[in-house]
Amino acid sequence: MNLATFGAIMSFGLDLEQQAAAFYETAARGALKGPFIHLARGARKRAVRMERARREGVAEMILEPITGMDGDDYRVELSLNTDEAGLLKQAIALEEATYRFYLDAADKIPVREVARTCKRMAQESEQQKTELEELQSCHEDVQETKQ
Amino acid sequence: MEIKNLKNYISSEWVESKSKELLDVRNPATDEVMARVPLSTVEEVGEAVRAAKVAFLDWRETTPYTRARYMFRLKNLMEERFEDLAQIIVGEHGKIIDEARGEVRRGIENVEVAAGVPSLMMGYNMEDVSQGIDEECVYQPAGVFCCVAPFNFPSMVPLWFLPYAVACGNTYIVKPSEQCPMSQNAFFELLDEADFPPGVVNLVNGDKRVVDALLEHPDVRGLSFVGSTPVGKYLYAKAAANGKRAQCQTGAKNCLVVMPDAVLDKTVASIMTSAFGTAGQRCLSGSLVVAVGDVYEPLKDRLVESAARIKVGDGLDETVQMGPVVSQKALVRILGYVDKGLEEGARLILDGRGIKVEGYPNGYFIGPTIFTDVTPEMTIAQDEIFGPVLGIIRVADFDQAVEVIDRSRYGNAASLFTASGKLAREFKYRVQAGNIGINIGIVAPIASFPFSGMKDSFFGDLHGQGRDAIEFFTDRKVVITRWF
Repeated sequence: MNLATFGAIMSFGLDLEQQAAAFYETAARGALKGPFIHLARGARKRAVRMERARREGVAEMILEPITGMDGDDYRVELSLNTDEAGLLKQAIALEEATYRFYLDAADKIPVREVARTCKRMAQESEQQKTELEELQSCHEDVQETKQ
Repeated sequence: MEIKNLKNYISSEWVESKSKELLDVRNPATDEVMARVPLSTVEEVGEAVRAAKVAFLDWRETTPYTRARYMFRLKNLMEERFEDLAQIIVGEHGKIIDEARGEVRRGIENVEVAAGVPSLMMGYNMEDVSQGIDEECVYQPAGVFCCVAPFNFPSMVPLWFLPYAVACGNTYIVKPSEQCPMSQNAFFELLDEADFPPGVVNLVNGDKRVVDALLEHPDVRGLSFVGSTPVGKYLYAKAAANGKRAQCQTGAKNCLVVMPDAVLDKTVASIMTSAFGTAGQRCLSGSLVVAVGDVYEPLKDRLVESAARIKVGDGLDETVQMGPVVSQKALVRILGYVDKGLEEGARLILDGRGIKVEGYPNGYFIGPTIFTDVTPEMTIAQDEIFGPVLGIIRVADFDQAVEVIDRSRYGNAASLFTASGKLAREFKYRVQAGNIGINIGIVAPIASFPFSGMKDSFFGDLHGQGRDAIEFFTDRKVVITRWF
């Protein structure tokens, strides 16, 4: 999916957040329940932020074609039919893709306020990815101890 | 899908028109009928004017702060229904969703500016203009105003006027475009929700008969119009004959001058959105590129390359970059201009005719079209095509470029793409156009500035938006006082 317009980029970001929220909500179980519910809430809030940025940041005067972004580069296949380790791995991949998407979007969108929002989203995704990696590490330790 | 007949909104009531004449409102991407719009009667215009006249007495005494609060309320309602409003515009007009969102945003910005009425409407005074005598100038609302809206910005254009008129204490009647009336219908649902007192805002659907009736009605003080030059001229003359003030923003043929030192990548991107955005149906669309000197060859190649990549389709698809034109009639007219260009010797280097959009066999589509070897005498260089057809004229130098612009009977907008500050100054100083762009393809003034225009692009003194709108919708009363 070629993201060649302001709206295409913003709507893709909105979809990413909604997809993330749905994933975290459904996958919140066992040891992941607390962190995933927290992430789902965050994703819902970020979806609202993206919708607001799309609504308020659209600038008719500079709706110029955008090149070099493809949605397929940021898509992550998510499946719930896996164990906690598998879910964590997917969550990390999701945050990694989201981080890259927002970083690229911030670079392409010529509206400062929207670019700032995207940078903030990228920072948050990066932070979430780090936290998930720490969780993954703890999870692996626990699994090893159990064995 | 049920096809509903649109209603008028008079005195805070949705009323069905008594007219038996109805026009189909079609989705330009599919040719499907979405609604029917009534061609209201002269009597219905009379009812709306009566309601507005009665409401004026009370509304003008409402404090500007209270009137501003209605604007805040309206703004919030528009934000809440933002996406829905944008989608309605896409459905009735065909423009892409991004452009429709941009249109709604610009409309909201006008509501935001009008909410500043407590400051904007302040008058001025001077003490001691003569011994012991003071003089003041107060701004007063003038009465009932109306607007006649165009199809190309059916949602935004009424908002160049209505918020200012109403915030200043006037009452208002909108006659929406009969081709694209649905977004105004939705907007009036919001006005209804904002709970304006009965008669302050009114909507009468219809055609020329409604407009004539408004201009002939003794209780209407003024008219705002955006549309074609022949109609604007007619309305301006009729308004004057009936003793009304009028502001008529009309046709255009906007030139985009590209100098050899222009930053080509960004210039080409800017020209793409200017020429092909809204399928070329903006009054600010750049429809002639004036290539100066050596820039001609590389510019021409880059324009064709970029335009050929534009994805045409249904405006609701986020990946689409250009939608259909508004009607079958418009499509036929645009195709006629392409034929005319060929007849007169222009060279078609990108042919958008006969484009097929998968899944939309009945849409009014034409792809980006580019002519080169265009000369200023050609019909396609003189007439407003109002479609995605771009002509390229080659000139030797800056002075010749300015000459091309100034020969046009229109004076809506003109842009220069250059890295030279000196030429940019020269351009904005000399060129006879109301809206000047320097490295900007769509010279669309934001809400706090007037939407300007000169020559055959504007008839009147005061423009829409901003300070001009406040002046247009008020009378200046001078009071000279002496106390014994």
